[in-house]
Amino acid sequence: MIYKILLALWMALIIVASFFYSEAAGGFPGETSRILFFHVPQAWIATLSFLLSMIGSAIYLKKRTVDADHFALSAAELGFLFCVLATVTGSIFAKATWGSFWNWDPRETSIVILLMIYGAYFALRSALADPDKKRLFSAAYSILAFATVPFLVFVVPRITTSLHPEDTMNPASPGMDPRTLKVFLGSLLAYTTLFVWMLRLKIRLLRVEDKRDREDL
Amino acid sequence: MKRGRSITQTESSTYLNEALAIWVRDLRSEFRTRYAVNAIIMFAVTTLVAVSFSIGSFRIADDEKSFLYAVLLWIILVFSALSGLSRSFVKEQEAGTIDTLKLSARPQAVFLGKLFFNLTLLASLELIIVPVFVLLMRYPIAHPVPFVANVVIAGLGLGAGTTIVAAMIAQASTRGALFSALSFPLLLPLMIMAIKGCEQASVRLGPVGWAEVRMAFAYLVIMVIVSLFLFPLIWEE
Repeated sequence: MIYKILLALWMALIIVASFFYSEAAGGFPGETSRILFFHVPQAWIATLSFLLSMIGSAIYLKKRTVDADHFALSAAELGFLFCVLATVTGSIFAKATWGSFWNWDPRETSIVILLMIYGAYFALRSALADPDKKRLFSAAYSILAFATVPFLVFVVPRITTSLHPEDTMNPASPGMDPRTLKVFLGSLLAYTTLFVWMLRLKIRLLRVEDKRDREDL
Repeated sequence: MKRGRSITQTESSTYLNEALAIWVRDLRSEFRTRYAVNAIIMFAVTTLVAVSFSIGSFRIADDEKSFLYAVLLWIILVFSALSGLSRSFVKEQEAGTIDTLKLSARPQAVFLGKLFFNLTLLASLELIIVPVFVLLMRYPIAHPVPFVANVVIAGLGLGAGTTIVAAMIAQASTRGALFSALSFPLLLPLMIMAIKGCEQASVRLGPVGWAEVRMAFAYLVIMVIVSLFLFPLIWEE
């Protein structure tokens, strides 16, 4: 309980700090660079949960424990949510800086493919009636989809050059303002903690649903 | 009466022998019904006629042709393939022969046999559609060898990426739509490479598309290896 209150206070602090403490980065129209504090952690969570879902699937294929499948499904559902959020915020930023909501920038292409993989994963799950088959096939599909990711990383950037901001907005580069960096890392921490909390909640929910289904039978 | 090639598992039978036996058996049953090949080729011809009729061979400027025609060609090929390739496993499910097949051959051999069959279907699709497309649309191809290599290798990748998905959706309730929905995200990188490769092969200047052939080949190898690992898990369920 105390963690949730701390998290709520921390998130409130980050939201305030992202608008009042840090300064808007140069080279971007108006205040648009502040999207960094929300969009980048969302994209990070979307990628992280895709990876976690794949790991959960691999564990399920190896050990066939229901818990591993719950983990994979929860990570996939949360990943889909954060992927949609990252797509929407990114699209708004694209309109503000590049002048169009969508122009198939490499980043936009790869996030759409990620969304389609998640969508296909859920479609496969809903199409299979038998629970064991559902778990096994969706785990196999998850691994299969993950095998194509390296091609996206190599292939997509080759097509067109990206307009996605890298240097001034990348925390690893020395060009970032120290205040911005502080708020950004704080936001990353807040999003990751929120994600872990939501993930545990989702896994517990699935476990309860599973138990209810078994008692019904 | 002569017996067909037996697919029973013996001491001496190798994976390749079993796979070839399944391939021959599938080809024979396909020659009798012609279900998959009719569906795929009629779908492709219909799309090709629609594209050719509505665009014609003069509407697109010559310098735009190499890119736009590569896109149109690959949209026709990918979606025609998606319309029929799931038959390879769905027909076993519908005919009730799937359990016999499980008993009579090892899973990897079943996968390879079905993969060979799907690749045969894709080869006949490409053999008919690509020349007709090039002639109907007056596709100017500057470097025919890398162009053909792109079409062939990406076609093989198309088969490798979809065969295991066909095995999965054969046991699901909504088969047709699900097959396209599951396959498309897996095929998208391949499709992007193939379009890029065909575009480069048809332009006189610049790289001719061998890099894309190599990438498509890597995709093919990875998908076959991952499928060989995953297929036994799906098949024996």
